[in-house]
Amino acid sequence: MKTMRCYLANDTSSRAAGAGRLADAWSERPEIQLIRTSSRGAFFLEPMVERDTPDGREVWFNVAPDDLPRIVGGVGGTPVAGIPFLQQQTRFTFANFGITEPLALDEYQTRGGLKGLTAAQGLSPEAMIEELRISRLRGRGGAAFPVWEKWQVAHQTGSEQKYVVANADEGDAGTYCDRMIMEGDPFRLIEGMMICARAIGATRGYIYCRYEYPAAARAMRFAIQKAREADLLDCDDYPFDLEVVVGAGSYVCGEETALLESLEGRRGVVLAKPACPAESGLYGKPTIVSNVLTFATIPNILANGGAWHASLGTEGSRGTMALQLGGRVKQPGLVEIPFGLTLRRVLDQFGGGMAPGSRFKAVQVGGPLGSLFPESQLDIPICYDAFAEAGAILGHGGIVVYDDETDMVELARHFMAFTADESCGKCTPCRVGSVRGREILERIQAGGGTAESLDLLKDLGETMKATSLCALGGRTPYPVLTAIKHFPNEFKSKLSAFSRQQ
Amino acid sequence: MTTQHGQRLAEALETCRPVPPAKPNILKALLAVQSALGHVPTSGIPQIAQALGVTDAQVAGVLSYYSDLRTQSPGRHLIRVCMGESCTANHGGRVFRAIQEHVRVAVGDTTPEGRFTVEQMSCAGNCAVSPTVMIDEDLCGRVTPSDVPSLLKPYR
Repeated sequence: MKTMRCYLANDTSSRAAGAGRLADAWSERPEIQLIRTSSRGAFFLEPMVERDTPDGREVWFNVAPDDLPRIVGGVGGTPVAGIPFLQQQTRFTFANFGITEPLALDEYQTRGGLKGLTAAQGLSPEAMIEELRISRLRGRGGAAFPVWEKWQVAHQTGSEQKYVVANADEGDAGTYCDRMIMEGDPFRLIEGMMICARAIGATRGYIYCRYEYPAAARAMRFAIQKAREADLLDCDDYPFDLEVVVGAGSYVCGEETALLESLEGRRGVVLAKPACPAESGLYGKPTIVSNVLTFATIPNILANGGAWHASLGTEGSRGTMALQLGGRVKQPGLVEIPFGLTLRRVLDQFGGGMAPGSRFKAVQVGGPLGSLFPESQLDIPICYDAFAEAGAILGHGGIVVYDDETDMVELARHFMAFTADESCGKCTPCRVGSVRGREILERIQAGGGTAESLDLLKDLGETMKATSLCALGGRTPYPVLTAIKHFPNEFKSKLSAFSRQQ
Repeated sequence: MTTQHGQRLAEALETCRPVPPAKPNILKALLAVQSALGHVPTSGIPQIAQALGVTDAQVAGVLSYYSDLRTQSPGRHLIRVCMGESCTANHGGRVFRAIQEHVRVAVGDTTPEGRFTVEQMSCAGNCAVSPTVMIDEDLCGRVTPSDVPSLLKPYR
């Protein structure tokens, strides 16, 4: 019998959707050879099984172990190129997803990998930074700071030791693109970090990976080892080495100063700036801290030129954004598109509307610190400027849709409780404010709230916004206050009768 | 701490002793200890501090800060139910209640026979196939309350 090559994703979410079960069930079957790839990010279709045809790959969706005869017989498959969710995307950073084996360095190279590094090798640090300036790339972790400015500062700061740190503490609920990159295309992150190291003069890099991502940490360690063995890390006599460091479950360690504290092994507490890490970061040395997605975007910029990147997107937001759809949408998954499409179009065109049987109530963009949008505000374009103008954030690109069964008071309590749990405790507005906020909302939940409770909550929120040390305390009020603003009746109906009569 | 524990702690610390000019890394050491022992015994703090050349208070400070550092070993299997926004939106709360009813234990506690410890987690990054339950290192997606008995059955 001829053995047929079939492709099955091996990332955490695909396995959680059943890919692991398929691999176990078929491990002894002589008719197929399973190639374990990254996932295409169309998670609503996972587990997907693909096979080669003369016209490209063909795919079967939501496969169960019993489907094997159909796949081997070629019955009922559809061309991958015919999946609208994927076809309508503009994949650059995620171009390899679903296609390659994550840890095959030769496949990465065959598909254009290392071209950015090769281009960087022919450029001076100044010229690399100039490409980044032209590209107008802004950090994808949440703060959206121009990347080239950080590089410039680190490059110009004299020091015998400099560091590059990838922030892989992807703690924003509703986001998973960093995990996908580390599990699915780890050499892209390595290449991005190597380019940055050359631009600023760093010889050592760290990937700070959250404890909840054991598979991502394993994949990165394996990829680093492979890169080291292939003499890739310190090629052309430029010494560079990388290490994966695992955190221990602290959300605030995604904030760069807390992250560096944690990397040095201390409590991950936020530090009052003035110095920025690009001047004085890890062990007091110039350090570039950027999100995984930011580093993974850089190889293409060097390979294709800064002007190419700047030609995509909107005025203040150049390039593509990896949006991660979750919650009650019909088609949750990863969407890479140029900035500028409206939130409504993203939810309709890619999200496919609501999950069967549910009705839209609100959508939250940007993780647990992101604002809530009601139906009437969905026409906002997805870009940094429009979101800033609306007092919202794009954050790390997480988009979570809530249906009409969602209790907004409970959701607001959930956000305050999250911060009360995760506050590092350094500044009072966040440490105490989040606990008081949670208590007020618990009082309202229990029927003991009055109209003053809501006023107090708003006042508390404004104080936290104005006076917190970092975005955790400073942004926690946004989802809470937007919940009250857009769904006031839900809060008022829970206030005590006494207060309502007044 | 048993003698056996003490010996394993000493072995784990051997790999964490800072070699100058490298500075001691308390978090890394505590993770190594936890990996060897299943938890970090508070009675081992002085020994850890001494090996790293830091104070007991510094070790205790780091140990109490991080939620994934444990001072007691969990049960044979650790169930972590995701309470992130996507799981919440997909009614992960119902899954959590079903698990609690099934194993009959409060958050953070271990069942009397030591089989399960139940915890909540903020986000597993598995949002596109939520609701999520993590059992040890296995991640399960699209979990419904009725899946719970069969989901837990293999973990003895």
